[in-house]
Amino acid sequence: MADVGHAVAQTRRMTARQWGLLIVGVVITVLGVTMITGSALSGLARLVIPIVLIGTGMAITVAAIRSRTRVAYWLLIPGGLWLIIFYVIPMTQLARTSLEEGTFQTGFEFAWRWDNFAEAFTTFGGQFFRSLLYGGVATIIAIAIGYPLAYFIAFRGGRYKNLLLVMVLMPFLVPFLLRTLAWKVILADDGFVVGVFQTLGLVEENGRLLATGIAVVAGITYNFLAFMTLPIYVSLEKIDHSLVEAANDLYASPMVAFRKVTWPLSRPGVVAGTLLTLIPAAGDYVNAQLLGTPQQFMIGNVIQSRFLVVLDYPVASALSLTLMVAVLLIIIPYVRATGTEELVA
Amino acid sequence: MTKRFSDIVAVDDLTLDIEEHRFFALLGPSGCGKTTTLRMIGGFEEPTTGTIRLDGQDVTGLKPYRRLANTVFQSYALFPHLSIYENVAFGLRRTKVSDSEIKTRVGEMLDLVQLAGLEKRRSGQLSGGQQQRVALARALINHPKVLLLDEPLGALDLKLRKEMQIELKRIQTEVGITFVHVTHDQEEAMTMADTIAVMNEGRIEQLGSPTEIYERPRSRFVANFLGASNLMSVRVIDAEAGRVKMADGVELGVDPDALEASEGEILVGIRPEKIRLAMPGDSDLPRNSLEVVVTDASFIGVATQYLVRTSTGAELSAVAQNVGAHRYSPGDHVLATWEPGHTFAVHG
Repeated sequence: MADVGHAVAQTRRMTARQWGLLIVGVVITVLGVTMITGSALSGLARLVIPIVLIGTGMAITVAAIRSRTRVAYWLLIPGGLWLIIFYVIPMTQLARTSLEEGTFQTGFEFAWRWDNFAEAFTTFGGQFFRSLLYGGVATIIAIAIGYPLAYFIAFRGGRYKNLLLVMVLMPFLVPFLLRTLAWKVILADDGFVVGVFQTLGLVEENGRLLATGIAVVAGITYNFLAFMTLPIYVSLEKIDHSLVEAANDLYASPMVAFRKVTWPLSRPGVVAGTLLTLIPAAGDYVNAQLLGTPQQFMIGNVIQSRFLVVLDYPVASALSLTLMVAVLLIIIPYVRATGTEELVA
Repeated sequence: MTKRFSDIVAVDDLTLDIEEHRFFALLGPSGCGKTTTLRMIGGFEEPTTGTIRLDGQDVTGLKPYRRLANTVFQSYALFPHLSIYENVAFGLRRTKVSDSEIKTRVGEMLDLVQLAGLEKRRSGQLSGGQQQRVALARALINHPKVLLLDEPLGALDLKLRKEMQIELKRIQTEVGITFVHVTHDQEEAMTMADTIAVMNEGRIEQLGSPTEIYERPRSRFVANFLGASNLMSVRVIDAEAGRVKMADGVELGVDPDALEASEGEILVGIRPEKIRLAMPGDSDLPRNSLEVVVTDASFIGVATQYLVRTSTGAELSAVAQNVGAHRYSPGDHVLATWEPGHTFAVHG
């Protein structure tokens, strides 16, 4: 207890001792990271030693920065280690691989080969663009379907609320692959949907839906719909109904009340849903594989085949990193523009 | 008007005429239908039968956003995503009011509720009392025909509640808008309202000024809901002369106006503070007088509260202000006396 009191009494200013600890911590962490990328060690030691070094280094670093809340940082260690082992290390490996040269037969070697990125982009630019397009369209459709659905469950669900939510999640009891294969049946050439579309003239006489971009986007939308619906539901559920009544009371028609009150208050849910849908959708390859043809292939298909079929690891890694950066570049301005932070504050 | 929720009658054939520019209170225990009545005036509920008129115009089927009535909600319902300024300006923004006029009016309104300088804050950054004022300003700025207040002080602590009662009354007098205030707190209603309607089980028990309702409660419910009452069952002997007789034969005088020419067995009541305890033989005693035995005396500082038992076994409570009079002890044989004019008759 005395120790806690002492720690709390400490000012925010860092002492010389803390600065010393901080430097030691950072040095150990950096050492650990460099050992992963270019290491003379081999076997299990190559993995274990850097992990231990990074873990210790980070623990010392955070302890140095805010020694008064040391306990909280120690609690971060299990989660931190998990992230390091399954996220930081693979990411560093991926970054390293993306700059290697060579072939699978002759072996790969780290050589700062930036050409991998140029090659990835020039050769597979089309698939890149298609990934973002399909992912984006699927996300927009998911909002269009998921928002009204969530709205209905949250405000009109009554005592069936929980049942309706379970129904939204129900498809997840079926494996992803089967769910996607089901769309093959739904959109089959001699199926009901195509028939109706042909009658309505939306699809040509001998036209098909399967093996088109429509099928892929439909599959993606369907597969990620719940990720859109649930966050929106959560944010709508939280809205106090008296706020809508207050808006009505202050001369806002139902439409205006929605625009000025319900929509802005549910925006965090829409942002969260968009992230949860767009990110996996842009990287998805199963839908394009099963419902499309190589003409509909997305970047995920390319990465998959580069990694597992062509065995061109460096280009595959470069593609993965580029996809990540591209998605981030889209998302960061989006989150900023929608101004979610101020809602939380 | 009547309002049914499936088979529950929340408001039962209620007729209410609220005068303009007055502070009107709907007072009653929870579940008496007062909030439902308010919500029907505001347009949030539609009456099952009956009509609602506002300023002579039938507004029964009109949606809330088309009514010139604004509400201060129990939970305040301030928009958390908007600044205080935008909260107050919300109603004006929906109508064709210029930005510069909005600015002046929001400024005036915030001055009125003493919140000038807080325009940029969010509702989450305000205290309960301040949020209450914003809610009031947000409704008042629209100059409604009637301002509806749904237990607006319920969430505040006692001290703040007292302050806000005086504040609300001041604002009402200043703006002259009709206020309809729903509350279960009799003191709150008495402090602020010009007219009180006491509601019970979807009906209005009594309507009148605070004094009228307190001095002349017309039903057993009102007599007990507003303050304490001693009720005694009597038989009317002569309504015009105001004479009634108790079961043990003692005759009591009642204001003939209060009796309203009733006959047979009725209940009459007397407020505890109107009863004066005295020794037999004291001079200047009020006309009504019962021989009683003191069963309990508790000194609470400003007054002494007595419980006395009459010869019929009925228990009465009496309050004697602490003005230096003799204090009685349990077991004392005394007289409970009061003026006939203070006696009220309960009809329902």
